[in-house]
Amino acid sequence: MTIRELWRKRTLISNFAITDLRIRYRNSIIGFFWTFLEPLLMLTVLYFVFTNIFETNIENFPLYILLGIIMYNMFSKGTIFGLNSMIARSTVLTHIYFPREIPAISGSITSFIMTVFELIIFGIFMMIFQFIPTETILVLPLIIALEFILIVGLSLPLSLFSIRYRDIQFIWTILIQIGFFLTPIFYKSDILPEFLQEILSYSPIFQIVNMAHDVTLYNTLPEIESVLKTVIVTGIIFGIGYGIFKKYQAKIIEEL
Amino acid sequence: MSGIAVNVENLSKKFRVFHERRDSIFESIIGSVSRKKFYEYLNVLDDVTFSVNKGEMFGIIGKNGAGKSTLLKLISGIFESDKGKIVVNGKLIPLLSLGLGFQVDLTARTNVIQYGLLLGFEKKQILDKIDKIMQFAELEKFADTKLKNFSAGMYARLAFSTAMQVEPDILIIDEALSAGDVSFQQKAFDAINAFKANGKTVIVVTHDMNPVRQMCDRAIFLNNGKIEDIGEPEKVVNSYLNHFHQQ
Repeated sequence: MTIRELWRKRTLISNFAITDLRIRYRNSIIGFFWTFLEPLLMLTVLYFVFTNIFETNIENFPLYILLGIIMYNMFSKGTIFGLNSMIARSTVLTHIYFPREIPAISGSITSFIMTVFELIIFGIFMMIFQFIPTETILVLPLIIALEFILIVGLSLPLSLFSIRYRDIQFIWTILIQIGFFLTPIFYKSDILPEFLQEILSYSPIFQIVNMAHDVTLYNTLPEIESVLKTVIVTGIIFGIGYGIFKKYQAKIIEEL
Repeated sequence: MSGIAVNVENLSKKFRVFHERRDSIFESIIGSVSRKKFYEYLNVLDDVTFSVNKGEMFGIIGKNGAGKSTLLKLISGIFESDKGKIVVNGKLIPLLSLGLGFQVDLTARTNVIQYGLLLGFEKKQILDKIDKIMQFAELEKFADTKLKNFSAGMYARLAFSTAMQVEPDILIIDEALSAGDVSFQQKAFDAINAFKANGKTVIVVTHDMNPVRQMCDRAIFLNNGKIEDIGEPEKVVNSYLNHFHQQ
């Protein structure tokens, strides 16, 4: 599927994404406001838990931790939505042809939309803590865009292979949980042993969370080396992910 | 007849039939070590060639497992063929046995909008059609009801009515009308006749021989993935029935 085709299908993709959001918040009295309330409650609880348990000398720790969680949440929700996106639409996929990339992409968009809501809440937290970000925060959208590409690159093969191998979703959930601890969310990456830092520097999500912290809270632009590593690894993941998706999609759809 | 609506050439399709289903990574790893063959291939369609003319009503008959539904899914683009070529001229709507692929946790309205978008309509175009769809399906009061609360008949009516209102050039019907009641079936037959009278094409799969005899222009009889007979409906129906009696 080319970018142009993708653009032509934009109404369909956004419809899928919004329908997913609707299903999530269906039957709730305050409906749409859940999209704000959920991250607000979650972030508040996490803030109290982490700031009271951890002794830390991280500057702006509450904001540090909230931003880390938001960035990691986008990744975990996005890939998990993507993973379930085809199984959830099996009736649609077996009754009409449409580009099979669409469920995974719209799952990534659903998580992106939720992240935007969470970032709005984050803005409120910044005001509460009277934190004024510098202009380096303007790089944050680019970092999020990179994360989005990473999520799509993982979601495409996950959406497909979880049809054939139903245990992928359990394996992936565990990996996401391990990843949470291997990502600098409630600690700074420099407390890790040297060798681990070296290995993790090839993890795009590790770098993305680091960069988000730097540009938002510490007036620091990411180093060229980190940017290059992240872009290259994300590109490789996307390329391989999309490649195996293309190769196997026709066969695996028949198993739905 | 002006031109061909669907052309199928030397179409073949194999499926894996599993002796033991390996649906986890763990099982596949264990399985690949033991190297026991856990599936075999079944030729669901074997070198099938035919064409459907524009404005024709074309019947496909055959026993369960003869490959009828697979053929329809290949024509609809849901499955990919192993060999052979399929050419479809015009907008094609597959109305398969379980409807159009609606999601039961969405309302009738949301499903219709989603379906329209899947077909490539603009959102505004679908919104213009929704009232007509609900009216024809006699479901005006249930537009905002989730499909899981629909009866089988309501579901079938909604699917059929949506398929007709989006004005396809080619309509595929796979046993889709059996769930409606008599009055709706009559309405559906009238709609199909009107559709055909407008020069549109209908491909129908059914186990009921009467509509094939009365309404179809031509038919094929599929048996074990091969075309056993093709031509006049009366002749094809007879060779299908004879085939049964011989067994």
